Amino acid sequence: MPRLTIDGHEVEVAAGTNLIEAARAAGIEIPYFCYHPYLSVVGQCRICLVEVVGQPRLVIACATPASDGMVVKSESSARVKEAREAVMEFLLANHPLDCPVCDQAGECLLQDHSTSEQGARFASHMVETRRTFPGYERRLLGPHIIQNQNRCIYCSRCIRFTREISETGQLTYTSRANHAFIDTFNGTPFDDPFSGCAADVCPVGALTIKEFRFRKRAWRLRSTASVCPGCSIGCSVFIDHHERIVYRLTPRGNAAINATWLCDYGRFLAETLNDQSHLHPRHRVEGKPVRLSWGDALRMFADELRSARTLRVVASANLSNEELFLTRELFGRHLRGEIVVPVHQGQQRRMKNGRGEWLHSTDAHPNSGGARRLGLDIVGEEALARFLYGAADLTVILDPDAHPFLATAEALRLVKVGLSIACMRSEHPIVHAASLMLPVPTLACNEGTFTSSTGTVQRFDMAFPPPGETRPLWIVLVALARELGIATLNLAGPAEVFDLMAGNEKAFAGLSWEDLAGTRVPSRLEQQHVG
Amino acid sequence: MSAEAVLLRARGNPSGRTLEAYLGAGGYEGLRKALARVPEAVVKEVSDSELRGRGGAGFPTGRKWSFVPKDHPGPRYLICNADESEPGTFKDRELIECDPHMVIEGIAIACWAIGAHTAYIYIRGEFVRWARILEQALDEARARGLVGRSILGSPFDLDIWVHRGAGAYICGEETALIESLEGKRGFPRLKPPFPAVVGVFGKPTVVNNVETLACVPHIMTRGAAWFASIGRSRNTGPKLYCVSGHVNRPGVYELPLGVTFREIIEQHGGGIRNGGKLKAFFPGGSSAPIMTAGDVDVRADFDGCAEAGTMLGSGGVIVFDESVDIVAAAANLAHFYAHESCGQCTPCREGADWCMDILDRMLDGHGRSADPDTLLRICRFASEGMTICPLGDAFALPISSMVTKFRDEFERRISTASPRPQKKLPALPWAGQRPGFGD
Repeated sequence: MPRLTIDGHEVEVAAGTNLIEAARAAGIEIPYFCYHPYLSVVGQCRICLVEVVGQPRLVIACATPASDGMVVKSESSARVKEAREAVMEFLLANHPLDCPVCDQAGECLLQDHSTSEQGARFASHMVETRRTFPGYERRLLGPHIIQNQNRCIYCSRCIRFTREISETGQLTYTSRANHAFIDTFNGTPFDDPFSGCAADVCPVGALTIKEFRFRKRAWRLRSTASVCPGCSIGCSVFIDHHERIVYRLTPRGNAAINATWLCDYGRFLAETLNDQSHLHPRHRVEGKPVRLSWGDALRMFADELRSARTLRVVASANLSNEELFLTRELFGRHLRGEIVVPVHQGQQRRMKNGRGEWLHSTDAHPNSGGARRLGLDIVGEEALARFLYGAADLTVILDPDAHPFLATAEALRLVKVGLSIACMRSEHPIVHAASLMLPVPTLACNEGTFTSSTGTVQRFDMAFPPPGETRPLWIVLVALARELGIATLNLAGPAEVFDLMAGNEKAFAGLSWEDLAGTRVPSRLEQQHVG
Repeated sequence: MSAEAVLLRARGNPSGRTLEAYLGAGGYEGLRKALARVPEAVVKEVSDSELRGRGGAGFPTGRKWSFVPKDHPGPRYLICNADESEPGTFKDRELIECDPHMVIEGIAIACWAIGAHTAYIYIRGEFVRWARILEQALDEARARGLVGRSILGSPFDLDIWVHRGAGAYICGEETALIESLEGKRGFPRLKPPFPAVVGVFGKPTVVNNVETLACVPHIMTRGAAWFASIGRSRNTGPKLYCVSGHVNRPGVYELPLGVTFREIIEQHGGGIRNGGKLKAFFPGGSSAPIMTAGDVDVRADFDGCAEAGTMLGSGGVIVFDESVDIVAAAANLAHFYAHESCGQCTPCREGADWCMDILDRMLDGHGRSADPDTLLRICRFASEGMTICPLGDAFALPISSMVTKFRDEFERRISTASPRPQKKLPALPWAGQRPGFGD
């Protein structure tokens, strides 16, 4: 374990740690553009120059491993300051400095560094006309990525990302020197399944994401820690939102699952989190849906439950562990109902973790792992159809999106046989079968935990309060339990549900709500978006 | 000082490059002697001869060979760097043209010394004819069992491949050459690890210049002491000097290391053309700091040049007479380096381009008083370890030396500059109609 001194701070780091990470451990920021903790070190940008006492030349911190007794000067060295200023001047010589109209502004490493380090003192000696790439200012590189080559600082992060992480190797430099530009081979579209990450790792606004471009300035966004609902891998994400609108999902650092990556499929689920068409509880009167209060709705629900001789519940692997636990306790243990959790295989997705290993999804739900751990009955399409064929007085559908089968005409016909109650979020055919419709919000307005297929239990937070009269399912279930007079389920929040679950379930033993907090808040924007 | 031609002994002989002629001149005797000895002894012999790399850096060849790990289990490689692209350098081409077998023999000896069984000759893409000459020579050598399996009856196997580059200057840098040889983009690698440990295909690799390798057979046949007796201590052996520019007899001259530039230019180059006066010269290709007429008595060897604040480089002596406009020459160089920078490191990529823009503007007659200092600032921060490979230094050193040594010429350009015509913005259509506009 080498011990070294950086700007007068002594720090001990693991062998092989480079000076950027060592300095970070000592609480010192060494600026960088081309370095990325999960990509190979190329030492191209030259901004991380530091002085190592005893070495005649400045060295780049990204490519210099910490060694015992090393004395490093970063901020405290006049030579370093001078050299970094020169590198900055070189970088900005041909950079358009169009920050006011650049979508990266606010989360741009170049902008951050030039404002924090150089401040008002910076003045370029450059009087020449800037080198530009006419026709490459707004170039659609692929389905999701827009390139502005004028802004590129040649850090090669995007190229290394496609070579080392997504393994498609789609991006490359074309041409040489100052007239080189980022391109795909033979001009094929950049349709990498992880193409959004290429824009994430871009330290400047050279690659931006089409779907997010110009929708919101980065500094307006609030980031809430969450978990990607796209598949069973359970990538850690931030929900970036402003004024109760979700603008994007960005990867949240998690070395065990998604390092700092997120696949395009998951990333662009952000829009579905704004999808909320049911805002009030409604019931059907003479075939027409009519609004009613939550109190009446719950009373009606409880009455139906009491009077039903046979009860069947279609739960969902999209529900949180807490909601599944409450479902099992309430409908299963207390009401003796039959519960199934439909699981849809979906398209197989994969993700590379911090050790460079591929993780593969088992299904298209974020919490099938939780359903399995709680011992719930997991069913596929056929079993789900068989389950619905069996007649019952009352069918409760907790999540119409639990399985695509529920959207078919056959499912509709089967559900219509008895009375049915559904928790609704967006438009869905099953609404025509339900006699009572309870509005539930999206993942962004809920909190709880998911269990990924790798067995990791992760917490997700509430980004903003539920819109309209929607209420997260766990509140609905707890209120229903109170209505039915079940005292053991009189719980105040997902934290209490989780603690009860952790106390009773072997699978969750030893876990606590507080400990699952993980990375809640980005320590700084840069870490959030590029690692 | 020997006047005897060693490296260019076959020059002038039309059939000199055939294997017959080479064998007739005692060729492949060095390889026979080397194979009779253990590799360590060969390395020691070369170390004792104090042979220094002729590619530009002047690194002791024996030491370079000794860096290859002895206990490395896998294969190791030797690369002959024939990517001669330094402006003003044309010695490797001459060597290959006159005596390709000398290079091949040198490669074989070096491979025996470092334990390599595969060698690559990375030849500049434009050298089509010389690549063919090498291929022919290799065919001859293979037919005689001088390359291939069990060379000269020994258990030593060696295969040599000619690989043509695609014409990038940067691929003359050893790590960029390795990348290019691997089929990748010619980007210099970060060092360490050095090629001797992690080189081509991730295996220990030695990269030697053509001329360096051509010296090796002579060291083996005639001994390290003979070689060390040419030149002076630490600067031994014969050297090919490429004289170009404003001299009466440009060409490649083989001279012992340590002659003065005066002798090279006046005696061998035949003096300045049209009886003119020497103004300046590059001692070792365009990447070395320029020298003025007052520096002609500097010894043209590694240490002599270093003491004079420049470098011998590849030995390309580019001579400028009084007619040369230094600003135009600097602009010419800047164009070359701005085009040839690989584009990896910020200071070199942006700096070379910026220098080019400034010098072009000066040539256009729009120089500014701050330009010389800006040029010096760019050069200062593009050299001295600011970049991965020495290409940053390669453009910064000559240009900064030109600005420093011929500052008066730059100043004159600026003082006679015409101010840039002020661009008048077109009048707004409503100018004069609204208050605050046009009045």
